[in-house]
Amino acid sequence: MNKFAFHTMVLAFCCGVAAPVFAQDAQKKEEICFESRKGASEITKREIKPGLPNVKCSPKTGAALWYGDPFDGTVPMGKMPLLEKIPEGHAVIKPRSEKLAILPMCGTACHNGVGPAFNPPTLPKGKKPTPIPTMAGLLPGIENLQHGRGGIWCLDCHHTTKRDKLVDHFGDPVSFDQPQLLCGKCHGDKLRDWRDGIHGKRIGEFTSTGKKRWFVCTECHNPHDVQDGARNRGFIQLQPESPPQLPRGLKDAKHEKLHPIPH
Amino acid sequence: MLSMSSLMGTAALMVQSGDAKAAVEWAEHFQKNYRLMTAEEKAEARARLERRYSAEYGKQVSVDTTEAQPGVLMGYALNIRKCIGCRRCVKACVEENNQSRGNKPGERIEWIQVLRMERGEFSKDKMNHGYPEGLGIQVGGNAYTPAGAVLEGQYHYEPEAVPEKDATYMPIACMHCEKPPCVKVCPVRTTYRDPDGVVVIDYNWCIGCRMCMGACPYWARRINVANPVLPKEAMNPVTHYLGNRPRMRGVVEKCHWCLQRSRHSRYPACVEVCPVGARKFGNLLDPESEVSLILARKNVFRLKAELNTFPKFFYFYD
Repeated sequence: MNKFAFHTMVLAFCCGVAAPVFAQDAQKKEEICFESRKGASEITKREIKPGLPNVKCSPKTGAALWYGDPFDGTVPMGKMPLLEKIPEGHAVIKPRSEKLAILPMCGTACHNGVGPAFNPPTLPKGKKPTPIPTMAGLLPGIENLQHGRGGIWCLDCHHTTKRDKLVDHFGDPVSFDQPQLLCGKCHGDKLRDWRDGIHGKRIGEFTSTGKKRWFVCTECHNPHDVQDGARNRGFIQLQPESPPQLPRGLKDAKHEKLHPIPH
Repeated sequence: MLSMSSLMGTAALMVQSGDAKAAVEWAEHFQKNYRLMTAEEKAEARARLERRYSAEYGKQVSVDTTEAQPGVLMGYALNIRKCIGCRRCVKACVEENNQSRGNKPGERIEWIQVLRMERGEFSKDKMNHGYPEGLGIQVGGNAYTPAGAVLEGQYHYEPEAVPEKDATYMPIACMHCEKPPCVKVCPVRTTYRDPDGVVVIDYNWCIGCRMCMGACPYWARRINVANPVLPKEAMNPVTHYLGNRPRMRGVVEKCHWCLQRSRHSRYPACVEVCPVGARKFGNLLDPESEVSLILARKNVFRLKAELNTFPKFFYFYD
């Protein structure tokens, strides 16, 4: 009995000591960097070949700096109007729904198929929703939606009864993985440019029939605060990478800030 | 007397050739300009370099020698309105292309420069107010709120967050000119333009005279004044002979549109990391490619077009 107890103690002690060590190891190895903007999509560093990682992260800003494997964690894009000429499987995306943690709950827990009543009307007037504490908690500052200059509100983009879906022109549900089908309904010029590869980002092979990973709208733009004035150009501000080396003999770069003409 | 000394030198080299490293150096010294090499000589050089780099960096390094593909003319387009100046392209280029990354002066090399320029303001009431006193030339904006008065822009800007409200950013690197001044001045013809539009350098044949650096109107070329500092674990083992293979001291290097990738249809590294998708790359001979569509549809300009260098790098805006 004593012997057994002793062994148990030894085992417990070892585990107690070893566990934090393993945890630390795991933390050290797991290097995650964000791709386009912070909070949109992340990528975990691993080795695809000895000495060749799938991604390199910036030690300063935590951004993805280099892709060894541009198709890491991607799935086929699915049907997209006017992109049928792309060979099967050559257009891939990273699914957004995996990133949105509470998405599976949205359509079941709170909004279980019931939308706001139209008769008698419970919809807010002037596209300004009554603040609901749960939603405000999930999305701070949503009462001042920075999108559409006060002209749109939640249910212009989110499906009325299927809350885990977005909604297109005709009231049909749109997957969170294909936000372009929704965004394009107002931003048609951008959608056209995106389809042709002029707007937005694609990585992989550059030939027009090559395999590419497409970045969808919400990977770069946050639809809830896309129009924040301080941010400029529809894109969230980022920390820049470090500046280049100063020329020999210079202590700082003040000379660059001198104007030949005072103003 | 001269022949005697050269004979002695040759003899000394021959004696040392038992040593593998010396044999490699010997072969490298006596190899031809890359353009004049036969296919066998290129294969030999490739095998030699692969062996040497693999031993030096402790991993399997490949040195690609893929030629320009027929039907491909590479072109690059950059959306100047979108660029936020985050410098991710600069760092991606360093990760991909094995540049020197030490801390002493001259040991850190970056091929892309991002210029921060002030935004001017063209206000109607000031439009006809004339030129600044004593300057005689208007440098942008107008006389009272000059834009771009800092003529070369700021390279070393470091704000908390970008984009800043009153700034415009302009990344510049090698423009891959159709008539490159650097190629014209090179006394040893080590730099030349390949048929797919890329201006390349055979590092082994470069004598480090820096004529090309002086000739380039886009400040695109860099010289390894010090021994390049390239940590083993950070070295990119996928290389091209004319591209990102590790350079030696005293040679000039520059952007080559990631030949090791683009000759295999992959986007260059800077295109892949740009968070705003401002950078576009494609085949100019393919009317469906994104660069061709940009040229057809957008407002495009080339930097210093008046010099008749005909760059294959286009700036555009929506």
